[in-house]
Amino acid sequence: MELQPIFIQLLALALFAIGIMVAISRRNLFFVLMGIELALNAVNLSFVGFAKTLPDTMSVAGQIIPLFSIAIAAAEACVGFAMVIFIFRNRESIDADTYSDMRG
Amino acid sequence: MLALIYFIILAVITLGAAACVLLSRHPLYGGLSLIVSMVSLAGIYGLIGSPFLGVVQVMVYAGAIMMLVTFVIMVLNGARDSKTPMFDKVSLFIIPAVIVLAGLVGFALVRSPLAFDTTTLRGSVALTSKTLFDVAQTGPGYFVLFEILGLLLLSAMVAAVLLAKKRLGSVESENMEDKH
Repeated sequence: MELQPIFIQLLALALFAIGIMVAISRRNLFFVLMGIELALNAVNLSFVGFAKTLPDTMSVAGQIIPLFSIAIAAAEACVGFAMVIFIFRNRESIDADTYSDMRG
Repeated sequence: MLALIYFIILAVITLGAAACVLLSRHPLYGGLSLIVSMVSLAGIYGLIGSPFLGVVQVMVYAGAIMMLVTFVIMVLNGARDSKTPMFDKVSLFIIPAVIVLAGLVGFALVRSPLAFDTTTLRGSVALTSKTLFDVAQTGPGYFVLFEILGLLLLSAMVAAVLLAKKRLGSVESENMEDKH
């Protein structure tokens, strides 16, 4: 039995599900951001897996777009952690439940 | 056959490390297991024929982003309020909902016909650089996107510096310095 593209898609699906679970169900802000990173990774893996099912020049786009996606994830992590530092200075807490009054 | 064995090993490492992120109590352990997950994902990229993407994954994700994560965790001393419960009553509904959703999507995926194409191109450094920078052949689309991405990263850096710096001279920062 050889490696099938569906295995890659199922792995990406499982990773995405775990990432969403981490991002929504954990209370700690670091885990929320790490869950978002996991979900972004899963999407990149899905891109590459689907690109490998396409014929020759059509398969290039699916291998270039994840590069941009990784760079955008880097920008997102940069701003996200700066926001965590900013919020932590105001509240002295990284528990997401303490930021529930929408006043900043 | 050999590719399948390598894939299964790497997939088990990836999923196990992701589960560690879900279950670990301290954010530093979560970040470290996230690094393991990223590195084995880079191995999968190399395995299915996109080695350049795997290298970028190691450099940017496992290197830069996770360095930022561990740095911020250490700066903020994130263990301080780990007294709150890891999972609460909302999680009891979220986790089964996500599992059911993943099951539905997985069912739809399994039903769809997918097969590797033998003429697919290997995402090597040469192919990637030619696609990105050889404007005469592939059109300016990717190149413009690349330049815009540089601007995005610059603005993200400026935003991060502005958000995270202490406002020197303001009343709040002096009070904070007195407190510490």
